[in-house]
Amino acid sequence: MSGAVQTVLAPPAGPARRAVRDPLVAGLVGLCLAVAVGLLVARPAPYLVNALGQLATFAILAVSLDLVWGYLGILSLGHGLFFAIGGYVCAMHLLSHGVAVTGVQPDFVQFMGWKSLPAYWAGLDHPAYALVLALALAGLVAFLFGLASFRSRVNGVYFSIISQALVYVAMLLMYRNDTGLGGNNGMTGFPLLFGWPMGSPGVATGLAVAALVALAAVLAGTRLLVGSAVGRRMIACRDDETRLRTLGYSTTRLKLGIWCLSAMIAALAGILYVPQVGIINPRVLAPDLSIEIAVWVAIGGLGRLGGAVIGAVLVNGLKFWLSTAMPEAWPFILSGLVLVVVLVLPNGLLDLVALRPRPNWLRRSR
Amino acid sequence: MTGLVIEALTVAFGRFTALDGVSLAVDPGEVRAVIGPNGAGKTTLLDVISGITKPVSGRVMLGDRIDLTTRSEAEIARAGVRRKFQKPSVFPALTVRENLEIGCGPAVPAGARAARIASVLGEIGLRPRADIIAGRLSHGEKQWLEIGMVLAAEPALLLLDEPVAGLSDAETAQTAALIRALRRPDRAILVIEHDMDFVEAVADRVTVLHEGRTLYEGSLHGARSDARVIEVFLGR
Amino acid sequence: MPVLRAVLVLVCLALVPAPAAAASLDRAGFAAGLCDDAAGQVRAAEGLIQSAGELPSDDLAFAANLLGALAERRLACPADGALLLDRPGAPEGRDALTGLARAAPDARVPVLGLRQRAAVETARGVSALLTGPDPAARSAGLAAAERRIATVPAAVLDRARDAESDAGLKERITGLAQAAALSSPDPVRRRAAIAAVAAHPSGAAQARLAALKGDPAYAADPAFRAALDAGLATVSRAVAVGDGLAVVYNGLSFASILFMAAAGLAIIFGLMGVINLAQGEFIMLGAYATYGVQEAFRRLAPGLLDLYLVAAIPVAFCAVALVGIVVEALILRHLYRRPLMSLLATWAVSLLLVNLVRVTVGTQNLQFVMPAYVSGGVPLYADFVVTWNRLFAIGFAAATLVLTLLILRRTPLGLDIRAVTQNRDMAACLGLPTRRVDRLAFGLGSGIAGLAGVALCPIYSVNPGMGSGFIVDSFMVVVLGGVGSLLGTLVAALGIGGANVLIEPVSGAVAAKVIVLVGIILFLQRRPEGLFAVRRRR
Repeated sequence: MSGAVQTVLAPPAGPARRAVRDPLVAGLVGLCLAVAVGLLVARPAPYLVNALGQLATFAILAVSLDLVWGYLGILSLGHGLFFAIGGYVCAMHLLSHGVAVTGVQPDFVQFMGWKSLPAYWAGLDHPAYALVLALALAGLVAFLFGLASFRSRVNGVYFSIISQALVYVAMLLMYRNDTGLGGNNGMTGFPLLFGWPMGSPGVATGLAVAALVALAAVLAGTRLLVGSAVGRRMIACRDDETRLRTLGYSTTRLKLGIWCLSAMIAALAGILYVPQVGIINPRVLAPDLSIEIAVWVAIGGLGRLGGAVIGAVLVNGLKFWLSTAMPEAWPFILSGLVLVVVLVLPNGLLDLVALRPRPNWLRRSR
Repeated sequence: MTGLVIEALTVAFGRFTALDGVSLAVDPGEVRAVIGPNGAGKTTLLDVISGITKPVSGRVMLGDRIDLTTRSEAEIARAGVRRKFQKPSVFPALTVRENLEIGCGPAVPAGARAARIASVLGEIGLRPRADIIAGRLSHGEKQWLEIGMVLAAEPALLLLDEPVAGLSDAETAQTAALIRALRRPDRAILVIEHDMDFVEAVADRVTVLHEGRTLYEGSLHGARSDARVIEVFLGR
Repeated sequence: MPVLRAVLVLVCLALVPAPAAAASLDRAGFAAGLCDDAAGQVRAAEGLIQSAGELPSDDLAFAANLLGALAERRLACPADGALLLDRPGAPEGRDALTGLARAAPDARVPVLGLRQRAAVETARGVSALLTGPDPAARSAGLAAAERRIATVPAAVLDRARDAESDAGLKERITGLAQAAALSSPDPVRRRAAIAAVAAHPSGAAQARLAALKGDPAYAADPAFRAALDAGLATVSRAVAVGDGLAVVYNGLSFASILFMAAAGLAIIFGLMGVINLAQGEFIMLGAYATYGVQEAFRRLAPGLLDLYLVAAIPVAFCAVALVGIVVEALILRHLYRRPLMSLLATWAVSLLLVNLVRVTVGTQNLQFVMPAYVSGGVPLYADFVVTWNRLFAIGFAAATLVLTLLILRRTPLGLDIRAVTQNRDMAACLGLPTRRVDRLAFGLGSGIAGLAGVALCPIYSVNPGMGSGFIVDSFMVVVLGGVGSLLGTLVAALGIGGANVLIEPVSGAVAAKVIVLVGIILFLQRRPEGLFAVRRRR
């Protein structure tokens, strides 16, 4: 109590106005666009192009998770599901497109002894329909799951482990061969993208550029969102949901909206990812992979969109390099990295840079 | 005119009955203090009014038409009820100004907010610290900021849960003055407090709760001379 | 159960008419028959088959000897009697009846035709079945008799069954006897056979009886039809009950494993709000500790090897509890106010443990010796078999439940754990060392995971990745059961285990998981705190 008196008499020194501008995000957006231009101009080695494109899609995925975890306090351990929805629908488009152009049925159709693709594939050779379907489907699944969870106020670790169960069940489902989606082998052997042969350097560059531009757009858009009045409500909801509700806000609607948006961004990442790697299979639904997304965000810096990008790029860059250089060591390095970050750098690697003093709220509640 | 009428309210947690048939009526323009020893059910009463806890039976009527026990927290707040929590509940990661902006509630249009925020900043005396992150405020400043947040929506019913807990004497006096200034003919105010001097300074009438039941209702002076109230407060 | 079986055997004995006063074989006539023409040989062989049920053993052995010699062309037929040769074409042999050595310079050696061979082989089989010195010989005899089972009278099979000491062979004989009786031309015998089959209900019996519905007699003979319908109804009911018991049993054993996996998780979660993603790996460590104990026994006390599972119980508990305490002290201690970060930290621990085991021990499944008390089982009713390994798991889980409850309810540590679970701040104010309580409770929760590892060894394949297999299920148990309630964990484990086992046969394992998850999400709509959490004030 005497402490309270003192602080009133001597207010803490220095106004700590929160930076409205975010130099980190601005810099990253610029970097993405610059690298995209660089790819178009310089035409580097194909593996580098591909790696950059994949890193950009992982970064989008990380941003989508940071949006709900960092700004709403909802840790999803099932974001791989939305990524997979985007990826699967994209793969369905690529295969349908291939069938429409070449007339050759994909492997798994022949494997299952079918004559043609199942009926619900109809129309997927139109890219616009496929794009809308992928985003809508991810949004719908997120909506139903979110509605059930948020309405009954399932949150914290409860939400996390139920979302993990969701992705786990989805994985079991997709491992079945009778779903018409490739079963445990998944879908691969995409012949064409918009009529161009898949393997050509032009297509690879185009995909990487598209991923980088998408990352820049997602970063800029989510940054605008979290800086807006809605963003302030998200932060308020994260820190004290009951308080926000008793001020007249429907937090269920707020959480549901952002959750669905996040799911659709994750689906976008999946859409961009599949043509770059040329395959999708149920392994993207493994719970471990969904946890890894959270690891990227935690390592980069929770609650800062730029941190999510840095974490995703850093971890996946290391993984690309180490899983070929010394595959045995990678799990040890990853787990060590997580433990160091979680214990020593509560705000992720951005703590090392110390761009800002650590806000108090990061010490609490998470 | 809106007032608050509570009828035969019963709340149970498991086998423990926190409120046992409590009835209470607060008129518009009145400041009512609810006092009672720890565990009397005071905070539970506010939890029910603000929709955080659902009662086993009973009604909570705001005005003539709205039964708050059937509404969600957000609906209750939008009906004009605001609550200040016992533990200062501000949003620590947002600035004072942003806290007040959220305090205005979703109903106030964006254009009208700036003027409202400016006037509230004046009322609670935090204008110089408007752009500081709330997490850095002192305990007393947080209490005032929270009062400001609930004021920003111009509530018809104001619930204050121990607004001077942990404050210095000077701060308590300031807060009492603030609350007296909040009194308006179309606003009912319900205060929970242990500090009898503070209650005396702000309340028109008091309700004494004990073990989930209403023990006394009337003036504070009358409560001080009521035998049962004395027994409950002094006999323990 | 042995009592029940003894009673059943007695009933069967009472039903089967005792062998008639032992007739004896006309040895000379039999020998002459075999030396006769084709028709005579068949007559002799079939005569033997028909009377084999009543003949004394030495007669059967005599006949078997002759039949064997005939089949192998070692039976010489001089004008008077028969000679057994040592090898085909030998100039002399022993008299079949007297056993005296005797020359047979140009005696005829009969050759078996195809038709006679079948009868002779069957007769040999019957003799071997009844007099064979070891199960292998008797089993071979049965196989030979089986080829022409229609010619074998019931008395032979009954006698063989009653005399048989080998359980597997006895079962085969019984089955064969029933099958033979069921297709017997004698209606009385058929009906008796139906009743006998119905007395031992099983899925196989059900199928055998159901097949008879296509028999012409079913339409023609009302008595037969009534007997068959009654028998089928009895068997179907019994099989349904047995299958139901089997479902309950399997559900119970699955629930036991879920409970073992989830109990530690629930204690830790209730106390500290920490979801331990490494719990599955703690179970794996418990299994590896069990393996270590087995190997130690193998080296140091091979005679006591069967006891390794029992010895592993304290070892696995302590070893995994120690690992848990180390993890708590090094990592989780710093993360109590950040439950989501502790989730990631425990995931990192799980990744570390899996890969440590992978690198040091290897990725292959571990091989366990199965002591008698966890292998095999006892058939209880219809197709329901109580398997010892599952019973071991169920008993193990029950013992763990009781012990954990005793620890929580009756020991000072348990009191501390409950106090801190209910109100950490108040407990700290009262001077409880909450940090120490956390550590010990984490040790307890981890140790229980270690015990789950022991219980899984006889059932599951043990490898570094085994932990991830049921971790999602055990989380669901914790969520459904409610925080910090061991009783809730138990009920939720039973519910989820039961639901899985019930749904699985209908719509498959994946659909079962989907339905259970959806069910849990819907359930949480009504009770977000889970089954047994008490409503608390904010």
